[in-house]
Amino acid sequence: MYADLLHALPNVFAFANFAAVIIGVIAGIVVGAMPGLSATMAISVLVPFTFGLEPLVALGLMAGIYNGAMYGGAIPAVLLRIPGTPAAVATTFDGYPMAQKGKGGLALQVAVVSSSLGGIASAFALMLLAPPLSKVTLLFGPSEVFWVAVFGLASIIFLLGGNPVKGLISACFGVFVSVVGSDPIYGNDRFTFGQLEMLDGIHIVILLVGLYALPPVIDLLETPLKTGVNSSNLGTEPIWKALPRMKYWKTWIRGSLIGIWIGILPGAGGSMAAFMSYNEARRSSKTPDTWGEGEPEGVAAAEVANNADTASALIPALTLGIPGTAVAAVMLGGLLVHGLQPGPMLFRENPDVVFGFMWQFLFGAILLVLLGGSLATNSFARLLNLPRPLLGSVIIVLMLIGVYSIHGRMFDVYLMLGFGAIGWVMDKLKFPLPPVVLGLILGGFAEENLRLALRIGRGDPAVLFQNTTSLILVALTIAVIVGPSLKKRFLDGRKTAE
Amino acid sequence: MTDRPKNRLLRPETLTALGIVAVAAGFLIPTSELPPISALLPAAMLIGLIALSVALLVMDQRKAAKGDAAAPMTQSPKRVLGAFGLILGYALATDFIGFYVSTAVTIPLVAFAFGYRNPLGLLIATVIVVGTIWAIFDFGMSQDFPTGRLWKD
Repeated sequence: MYADLLHALPNVFAFANFAAVIIGVIAGIVVGAMPGLSATMAISVLVPFTFGLEPLVALGLMAGIYNGAMYGGAIPAVLLRIPGTPAAVATTFDGYPMAQKGKGGLALQVAVVSSSLGGIASAFALMLLAPPLSKVTLLFGPSEVFWVAVFGLASIIFLLGGNPVKGLISACFGVFVSVVGSDPIYGNDRFTFGQLEMLDGIHIVILLVGLYALPPVIDLLETPLKTGVNSSNLGTEPIWKALPRMKYWKTWIRGSLIGIWIGILPGAGGSMAAFMSYNEARRSSKTPDTWGEGEPEGVAAAEVANNADTASALIPALTLGIPGTAVAAVMLGGLLVHGLQPGPMLFRENPDVVFGFMWQFLFGAILLVLLGGSLATNSFARLLNLPRPLLGSVIIVLMLIGVYSIHGRMFDVYLMLGFGAIGWVMDKLKFPLPPVVLGLILGGFAEENLRLALRIGRGDPAVLFQNTTSLILVALTIAVIVGPSLKKRFLDGRKTAE
Repeated sequence: MTDRPKNRLLRPETLTALGIVAVAAGFLIPTSELPPISALLPAAMLIGLIALSVALLVMDQRKAAKGDAAAPMTQSPKRVLGAFGLILGYALATDFIGFYVSTAVTIPLVAFAFGYRNPLGLLIATVIVVGTIWAIFDFGMSQDFPTGRLWKD
């Protein structure tokens, strides 16, 4: 399996594939630097434009954007105390005080080096862990695949935190959307209402753009936030001069491990990784009192962890079809658009693409330092002066082009606007969005395998519980559902006892 | 205190829960006409949505009974409605009038309406965006955009 990894390497250096990573990293930093925009939104808008591209070009763009955006979020976090992405909240703790002391440039350089190291560690974790895990899933039959889908949905609903009732409503909505169109086995029309455009079901990109791109655009137009910054006061020096002074190896290693672990866990995400890494680094610091007042190691701890969860979030996504984060869910949609179905067959049938994608993550992380160096950091900081209403209007146009070009029809655009309105309401009422996407991805998958398993068992539902793997998956699903409430009870009990 | 029962039903979560119940119940009608095996998953999801929405409604009403105020969905409803209206208007204009004309009008209109008032900036941005779209999609990729239903025959 690892021979395939080396075999895929030369493909990554093809001009178009490598250029895609570079463009992706730059675009990602731009997007991450703009408060209100996120990697999830950028990839949602990008996916429809990649239809005509070679898979590795499309995936290179996505990998670059993901890596770039996770660092880009640090730019407004440091300069304005406004995290560009949710994962950059912990970066504000020490990054902003550094900027106030005239060390904004150094803070951004610590951020870019740490982000890059976190991304590299994460890419290696993806390369090492995904291939063996995919082999395990070769042993799965229809009933196990059904339970994997149920486990994936349960994980993202219950581990995301927040209100599980809202998570379940989101998942039910996503699964319901997945059944629209022709029944995959009997061919009956389901909820098409005579519309020929609905016969093939609802394309995932329409849902992704509606849910993830429209609400941020409305937010951009809703709040006239002033983000102007004077980048001449950054106090930046060439990055090669600053590098020898960055001696945060323990923090980088610890933060990378935390980020990788959090990335693999479904439903967690970069912000949790950054907070945990920051807390652990502060706890083990000899001078914890200086943290929060402009300690560069604080920036390093937060940034290394939020980038270390990028590629690792794709480990369960590529092998089991269960994304670890919202961005991974959207990237899963991007893979499906190119006919790449996650699971063991992905590694067997498309080794050059899937392993090339892993290399692209690694090179994307390395490119962060080169592209986010001193000169580029100043340029990216100037992006904060872009007028938000103008940006919003351009994104609206891109959304329309992207969705229209899927099938060349306006029906899809209206459908996307409908999902956008639903997405905005869900966003405002704090309904989690990843379960909707996962519901759409896993719904059809679960239904097909459930029906196949029932056919094998001649209609007897006991077939779903007849082997050890299924029972383990059922047990894991129950653990994921009851685990958070048991933990809460335990903590409440301990508090009361104290 | 006297107007609390009336306002309680207008809380955003309560309204959303009621909306989900109504829509899911509506979808159960075509579901009942499907063969049982095809209806299995959609029926399960619709019934699940109804049950969960009722749970959400009960939870929200309990909060209301305790006196918890519901947070408004937006601080500036006019701007949000305006944004949705302009986006819908852009889609309709693209469909009926054509893509390029609608885009050339929408970019400066949206930016101007939401606070960016620099005429030169608006002109440059519109020319760059429309020109780039034409060069990449129309010229480079031969992508056809809507020409407008109004002009067909």
